[in-house]
Amino acid sequence: MPKCTIDGKEIEVKPGENLITVAKRAGVDIPVFCYHPGLTVVAQCRMCYVEVEKMPKLQTACSTMAAEGMVVKTQSDPVVKGRAGTMEFLLLNHPLDCPICDKAGECDLQDNSYGHGSAYMRHSEERRTYVDVDMGPVIEKNMNRCIHCTRCIRFGEEVAGIHEMVAIKRGNNIDITTIDGNPLKTEYAGNYADICPTGSLTLRDFRFRKRAWMLKKTATVCEGCSKGCNMEIQHEGNVIYRCVPRENLEINKHWMCDEGRFNYHYTQDPTRVLTPRSGEATIGWENAIQNLKDLTDGKKITFLVGSDLTQEELATVQEYINAYQKGSSIHHFGTDGVSESVDDGQADKILKMKSKTSNLSGAEKLGIKSISHLKTATDVVVVIRGGRADLNVALKQVQGKKLIGMGVFLEKEISTFSLVLPGLAFTEKEGTIINHAGIEQKIKRAIVPKNTVKAVSEVLMLAANKKAKEAVV
Amino acid sequence: MEKHLSDKFYVAMKKLEPRYPNKKALILPALHQAQEEFGWLPKEALEEVAEYIGVHPAQIREVASFYTMYNLKPVGKNHLKICTNVACCLRGADELMNFAEKKLGIKCGESTSDGLFSLSEEECLGACTTAPAMMANDDYIEELDVNKLNEYIEKMKVLK
Repeated sequence: MPKCTIDGKEIEVKPGENLITVAKRAGVDIPVFCYHPGLTVVAQCRMCYVEVEKMPKLQTACSTMAAEGMVVKTQSDPVVKGRAGTMEFLLLNHPLDCPICDKAGECDLQDNSYGHGSAYMRHSEERRTYVDVDMGPVIEKNMNRCIHCTRCIRFGEEVAGIHEMVAIKRGNNIDITTIDGNPLKTEYAGNYADICPTGSLTLRDFRFRKRAWMLKKTATVCEGCSKGCNMEIQHEGNVIYRCVPRENLEINKHWMCDEGRFNYHYTQDPTRVLTPRSGEATIGWENAIQNLKDLTDGKKITFLVGSDLTQEELATVQEYINAYQKGSSIHHFGTDGVSESVDDGQADKILKMKSKTSNLSGAEKLGIKSISHLKTATDVVVVIRGGRADLNVALKQVQGKKLIGMGVFLEKEISTFSLVLPGLAFTEKEGTIINHAGIEQKIKRAIVPKNTVKAVSEVLMLAANKKAKEAVV
Repeated sequence: MEKHLSDKFYVAMKKLEPRYPNKKALILPALHQAQEEFGWLPKEALEEVAEYIGVHPAQIREVASFYTMYNLKPVGKNHLKICTNVACCLRGADELMNFAEKKLGIKCGESTSDGLFSLSEEECLGACTTAPAMMANDDYIEELDVNKLNEYIEKMKVLK
């Protein structure tokens, strides 16, 4: 393998690798704005200057391919001066409104200015200002802060597959905007805010709600569909403020869809059922378990489990049936029109899958059959769902039956249930899910659940205990 | 899509195609050709050029708005483009611009109501040795002064 030297460290390189990638492996950080590993290289921002021996001028590390014998310096005097110069140019028109900017704390411009720029400014002319267009419900635009890295334009063209951001005019008068000022159409608009290196494109959903440095981060997996995109839940004080994608080159690369990004909202919905219900009435857990036992004891029951439950939960239900509800049937349900994983497939050309539940493959792996195989349901039906599985798919099969619900429900969804035992949402539990390609991933608990909700395993254990106790008496 | 560009455009493009490595490289000549037909580039023309090149209309608009020689709004019969870059500025381009604005009664970037003149500022025309310079439609007029500019405008007014 060819070798090159970066800041005195010798490192092996693969052909076609650029200096930023190589430097990262060598533990050398090169500041960037326009370069993004998931997008094409344009070498526009000039921030990644490095000195390469025997080359007369500074080179941009993003567009320079590493080669045998190359000697690269990233901290030499010309480089330091070059970067400071670039920073000064980039800040010419920047309003420096960090105190009221949502990006502050996670802003590349801020970080690089601190690391490589000057604390003083020679520029005293008036800054250009823009009137911003409405970019739709997801993204808020602030062109004054823009440094024209064109990451957003390239993202739309190369990843989202829709060319909707454009650079109009040039130089100082440039305006990065949407075509004819139309709102964004893509269902992946949230990524615009993620890749923007300044506060030019920010997430409306997150705006002014929390400072970036206050957020705690929990690495988990999205439960929005069977793709299993890696994401990070950012929360503080037991409240989720936003979800952002986490890099996983095998599954979602650097991106995630808006549906998955904003999916967490239902877990914090004020109408989420958080206490056990018997019909309309709120009851205590003691009574709730008693009711559950009374309704199910000694009978053959139809269990309908959402394919949004984790492997652990599904296996627990199976074990419970084997031990305490012998002869009961278990079927999974999830998305209308996708009853088995053979029906699943890409819903668009990017990430979204047709199955809107995360663990369809996992349910099948445990040998649970689809609800489409359910012939006749018993008089009492237990419906267990994580929160994403489409209740209508289950309910239309079991009309007129006595329904017991376990898991996450909103007020409007429980009108037909005689008993509801509230459970944990995907943000509140740990477990394993298997995506459409058979990749096993762990979801992590970010939020401590309310003490009035119980995990499926706990509910089933309490019910089993109750049965055992009464059997002794 | 309804055609707005004439056959002449397509004939000219056919002739140019072999000279370029790919169709995308034809954007600039195609825009020039389209501008020749209308005098400026209306939205329909941009869209038709985009369709011909096979790229999104947004990309064509980016290119057309980048270069100042493409007119994105209608211009008068005589489009005066006065260079105001360093060399011309040192030789009195600002004065010329002021004079032209007053004489035509319009601001830089506007057109006269009779549709005879348009006035705009141009970046360096590459005629620094003969500064100050101006482009009137496709012609260079160099070593300008107020008298020469006045004469030119009067001449064009008579010619209509």
